[in-house]
Amino acid sequence: MAARDGGGALKTADELGVVACPLCELVMRAPHGDAACPRCGEHLPRVTRRSLTRCWALVLAATALYFPANVLPMMNTEQFPVRRSDTILSGIKFLWSAGSWELAALVFAASILVPLTKLFALGFLLVTSSRRSTWRPRVRTKLYRALEVIGHWSMLDVFVVSLLTAVVQLGRFASVEPGPAVLPFASVVVLTMLASASFDPRSIWVAKPAEAR
Amino acid sequence: MSEINVDDLPAPNVHQDKRGRPAAIWIVPLIAIAAATALAVRTYLRAGPTIKIVFDSAEGLTVGQSDVRYKNVPVGKITDIDISDDLDEIVATVELSRNFGKLAVEDTRFWVERPRIGVGGVSGLSTLLSGAFIGVDVGISKKRADHFIGLEKPPGILRDQRGSPFKLIAKDGGSLAIKSPVYMRREQVGSISDIALAADGHSVEIEVFIDAPYDHVVTDQALFWNASGMDVTLNSSGLRLDTQSLATVVAGGIAIGFHDPDHPGKPAKADSKFVLYDDRAHAMAVPDKERLALAMRFSQPLRGIGPTTQVDFDGIVIGNVDRVRLGFDTNTRAFYSDVDATVYPQRLGDAYDSLVIEGGQLGKSGPEMLQALVARGLRAQVRSGNLLTGQNFITLVILPNEPKTDVAMRDDTWIVPTERGGTDMIQDQIASIVAKVDKIPFDAIGGDVHEATRAASTLLGHLDHDVVPDTKKMVDQAQLAMEALREGLAAIRDNVAAADSPIQQEARTTLEQLERAAFSLRGLADYLKHHPETILRGRDSGPEPHK
Repeated sequence: MAARDGGGALKTADELGVVACPLCELVMRAPHGDAACPRCGEHLPRVTRRSLTRCWALVLAATALYFPANVLPMMNTEQFPVRRSDTILSGIKFLWSAGSWELAALVFAASILVPLTKLFALGFLLVTSSRRSTWRPRVRTKLYRALEVIGHWSMLDVFVVSLLTAVVQLGRFASVEPGPAVLPFASVVVLTMLASASFDPRSIWVAKPAEAR
Repeated sequence: MSEINVDDLPAPNVHQDKRGRPAAIWIVPLIAIAAATALAVRTYLRAGPTIKIVFDSAEGLTVGQSDVRYKNVPVGKITDIDISDDLDEIVATVELSRNFGKLAVEDTRFWVERPRIGVGGVSGLSTLLSGAFIGVDVGISKKRADHFIGLEKPPGILRDQRGSPFKLIAKDGGSLAIKSPVYMRREQVGSISDIALAADGHSVEIEVFIDAPYDHVVTDQALFWNASGMDVTLNSSGLRLDTQSLATVVAGGIAIGFHDPDHPGKPAKADSKFVLYDDRAHAMAVPDKERLALAMRFSQPLRGIGPTTQVDFDGIVIGNVDRVRLGFDTNTRAFYSDVDATVYPQRLGDAYDSLVIEGGQLGKSGPEMLQALVARGLRAQVRSGNLLTGQNFITLVILPNEPKTDVAMRDDTWIVPTERGGTDMIQDQIASIVAKVDKIPFDAIGGDVHEATRAASTLLGHLDHDVVPDTKKMVDQAQLAMEALREGLAAIRDNVAAADSPIQQEARTTLEQLERAAFSLRGLADYLKHHPETILRGRDSGPEPHK
């Protein structure tokens, strides 16, 4: 238990009041406020509220855009004379009813599950880190690593639409046009990626001052 | 693990503290929220009212694809199709575009537009590819509504069409259909908007819609007749083929006309009722008030006489044959034909009026006066109306040489004795002509012609071989002769044209002598005129012939 919650013999750099430059690895005293490495001039990342604030802002923005991304049509297809416009969900439904349940599952995972998981997971990490929770920091770190991995897969829909738009242009007979949901959806993906990148996993390991000292 | 003295470590370069300023990163979620709100608001604003329309069947309608079109402009989309609670109908939920919410008023009519092959051509052809759509005819009410009963067929008249409807009663619908055209003077002025069997099943009620401004031309005197198809009339006046337009041949149509186009009467009120006649002849016929049965007995064969055969009186058609019955006279052991006809005495016009007036003085009715004509030699004859088609007709003529028989009317029937004539004689003549034509030896003539042709052909060959080369030679010689002639002429011109040429001088001398001779002659003539006796006696010592 001791090793897991980090409160045992090992002390964190933060507890010791030191930081290392991420570029030249010079170890120095932890600064108060914005600071740079005295040797190489590299900006020093800080385990501060600022990194969390940044992450919070991006997650909120992603959440706000998540709704239009799912409600508005993603793709307008015209296969003369049938014209349909699909949202992400109706597209999945169509794929499912057309028998391609594997594809439906894939699209569902990439377009619904992954962004949603990312948002919830980031939210969970942010809340716990902001409160300097001591709850299972290792599990949370694993969660963070998982987030980084699955994040790559969530642009699938945007790729599909942009590819189809470029390929399927047969004038009046068949054409694919991106719908209004593409922009919000791409924004959601980019924002969650930025958010997970701006999240400092070290903040998981920063315990409440009262407990640490 | 060695202890690290924190204070020995180098201090970082601390930047100015920016903690007081709100982080710039918050702009990102603000923009995101603004964008999401904007999208939401736009989507909400775009959505119009939702209405429900009940139809019998959803044939051709598809959720999300079939749209609602007003004047072919999409104004909404079907968002759902459901079965009504009693399972009898379908309920289509339609979301109208925002700007077209005003279309959904109480008396707005909706129908499903499907491809229809009809009269005024093919309509809704685009729906073959695009699927059916819901047509809209906007009502005039101002009251909004959200529940409608859809029509099963497109309405004949749209609300924004100007004109008037009229009702026609017909014996049968013929080939008429909704949208069949209505013609006046062979120009389309409207169309059939509705056609239905009357509730009692005895007639067909047709509603026609005449477009403005022609609806005012329809008067209480207007006559409507069925102009469907081709009207082929074959009677003693020959073959007559009538159509209004090519479209009516296929699709049917109605024509409007007047007895007297100069006095068309007062404009009819909208929804007035008219009779739809079977054809133009029936419509145009003067209404016959008085009918009179006519009976005739012919002892000759009546080929070409049958129901509808015309009966005329001195060239005026006064009725038609109703039936022909063959009879057998046991006394004379001969067949005869009884012909019953209906005649309309008033078609005789003024003549009949005079008869009626005359009869009034004698205390007799009009038909009795007609019966009395038999005593003056009135007879019925079968005549050929058309030698080509063999159509015959019955004519009533007064033959003054006929014995004066007096036949009384029986059962109010005008009995007219008959007389052979007309056709029979003509037929005999034609038969003799045909016999003569038959006797012409066409074969022999043909053979002769053939012979002559062959001779001519031989002659031509001969000409070609023998005469043509000679002719060529002749032409060459003629050319030479012409050359010589031209040279001679040139010489002559040289001799004649010069002023001092011998010919010129001699000619002048000769002319002078001639002039003198003429002068002497005139003197002599004058002298002789005054002294003719000198011819006998010789000249005395009178004056000289000239001075």
